Amino acid sequence: MVKLSFISVKLSKALLVLLLLAVLSLAAFSCVAPSSGGGCAGPGAQGWSGFASYDGILYLGSMDGKVLALNPSARSERLMFPSERDGEWVLRLKAPAPSGGMCGPLGCAPAARPVAIYGMPAVAADLVCVATYVGDGGKVMAINRFAPGYDEEGNPSWKKQGEWVYPRGQDSFIGAVVGSPVVVEDTLYVGSSDGKVYALDAVYGDKRWEFDTGAKIWTSPAVKNGVLYVANYEDKLYALSDQDGSVVWERELPASLASSPVVSDDTVFFGTFDRYLLAIDSGDGSDRWRFPKDNPADNWFWAAPVVRDNVVYAGCLDHSIYALEASTGRKLWQFVADSPIVSTPVLVDGLLVAISDSGEMYVLRADSGVSERTVSIGYSVMAPLYAEEDMVYVHARDGGVYCIDVQTGLIAWEFSSIID
Amino acid sequence: MVELWNSIILEPVLNSLIALTTMVAGNFGVAIIVLTIVVRFALYPLTVRQTRSTKAMQALQPRMQELKKKYAKNQQKLQQETMKLYKEAGINPLGCLWPMLIQLPIWIALYQSIMRALAATPENLLDLSKHLYSWAAIGQAVPLNEQFLWLRLSQPDRNLILAILVGGTMWVQQKMVTAPATDARQQSMTQMTTLMMPLMFGMFTLSFPSGLALYWVVSNIIGIVIQYFVAGGWGYLRVPSAPKPAPDGKAVPVRKLPQSQQESPTIKKASKQKKDRFKK
Repeated sequence: MVKLSFISVKLSKALLVLLLLAVLSLAAFSCVAPSSGGGCAGPGAQGWSGFASYDGILYLGSMDGKVLALNPSARSERLMFPSERDGEWVLRLKAPAPSGGMCGPLGCAPAARPVAIYGMPAVAADLVCVATYVGDGGKVMAINRFAPGYDEEGNPSWKKQGEWVYPRGQDSFIGAVVGSPVVVEDTLYVGSSDGKVYALDAVYGDKRWEFDTGAKIWTSPAVKNGVLYVANYEDKLYALSDQDGSVVWERELPASLASSPVVSDDTVFFGTFDRYLLAIDSGDGSDRWRFPKDNPADNWFWAAPVVRDNVVYAGCLDHSIYALEASTGRKLWQFVADSPIVSTPVLVDGLLVAISDSGEMYVLRADSGVSERTVSIGYSVMAPLYAEEDMVYVHARDGGVYCIDVQTGLIAWEFSSIID
Repeated sequence: MVELWNSIILEPVLNSLIALTTMVAGNFGVAIIVLTIVVRFALYPLTVRQTRSTKAMQALQPRMQELKKKYAKNQQKLQQETMKLYKEAGINPLGCLWPMLIQLPIWIALYQSIMRALAATPENLLDLSKHLYSWAAIGQAVPLNEQFLWLRLSQPDRNLILAILVGGTMWVQQKMVTAPATDARQQSMTQMTTLMMPLMFGMFTLSFPSGLALYWVVSNIIGIVIQYFVAGGWGYLRVPSAPKPAPDGKAVPVRKLPQSQQESPTIKKASKQKKDRFKK
């Protein structure tokens, strides 16, 4: 057999190697992970869900589809988890794949994606409600907080335990949910990636109304005085009647909301993707102030602001924590952390507790921004902080739950939500 | 190293892409098309050089076949004579690879930019904040509207249209430049390259965000257009596929090359007339 010219072979091989290299580089260098828990944030991005608390039990979700009930007393005694005697449990949610699996020349395969829980749970009487993110789709699930009534396959037995799923049916989904559901009286409100806001009966899971904003919603709604404030990713902010979803007012903003809105007194506060923190009138949507006044900040106000006693505390991805006068937007103080502030801070007895992306917790005097102490968690934190008395609870990116005494700066206990 | 890559190559492309989205009324699909066209035309001289180099190599194939026959039993002499042939023709045998190597980082940056800009998950969106400039046009565009025609650009297109377009255009582009094989071994390698890559990318399209597939389609179409005008026609696309090996294992004699690849007096005259027309 006649051999090829070595040059031709070399060229062809080089071309093949080059093409393979290109393909490998593309795969290695990029963030190709539309499924939850992956992407540029890496596979360790577990802790997005904040805490809900009721009767001394902490409820949280995880990025691998678990809902956990933790009893701080049992955790501080380091009892085996779950300690059922102390009201602890763990529930692994399984959701069927959204319709439209991947199709190829050899047929179609279901798009198997894990269930993820980004938002914090909401407690409605005997139920813990979570909203899920399953690829393109999502569901809202209510779990009996005393005795989760799902079977081992993750199918709800809601007729027995009063639990429900919305929408019902294995193949029915709303859009994926990133924000937290909010429960007011007996109604649950949730925004979804399909652009709709759903108001559900929190006890039975029936839909009361829905409102289509026309674009993706990734932030949580805020409800106050019968009005629900919700924003979509096409620069729109809506004030809706919480009774029937009718529009009270709507307005177009210069940019979409980077943080969830927060309502205090008659003002709505939120961060936007053009790097401002905005305050608008909750009655008619008119501008109150924006911060900074002139040039934008160095990055987004991603964390939802915290408002108390006419002061707005806002963490920013530019590493700063700002304290602003709520009525005017005037800067009271600024504290510069070591890395971006992704997590929503919390107030504890005159102290503001914030945590940076690098896992450094700062305990600051709320009136001056002076640092009292720092505590190093060692893992970045994206979930909002939660406080009860002097204890601050942190759900870190590694899936760890940390209980920290802000007065002493000591870690009282820690627990890994990554369990088999 | 990653920091350097991000600040020098990735971030300029990423921010340009997002700013461009604002300029085209917030339509990210149109921005992908426009930026792909701009980048391809910016790299036009390199593409032309690569195409010409490949074409010149192919033009030498008949003479290389003669050398192969002549020195079939003496590989060392064959190598020497082949190199001599390239030297006489003034061709660097690896010359067509350098333009491709230079273009590669830009394609990777463009690819990464599309993936990052689409920010399919909250993690991706948060990560995007680390790479954005403080331009006003960027704040207005983020997060990007992912709807374009029937596509959700951050999700795969599951109805096969885009996969067929990606595979088809890639196959046409490769077929235009791939010289017919002359023996069994070369034939299998050529077939593998010509078929496997379009098939692979077609399959990728079913699982990668459709924004990326849109970029592949546009890039391939521009590649076809450039190839058509630089090489002066459809190249090897019109030539029947690889020859069947003879029963004795030897290759069937070389087929006639497409007119566009021949150095016939007619073609030379035609291309001269064409050049003259452009000069006027």
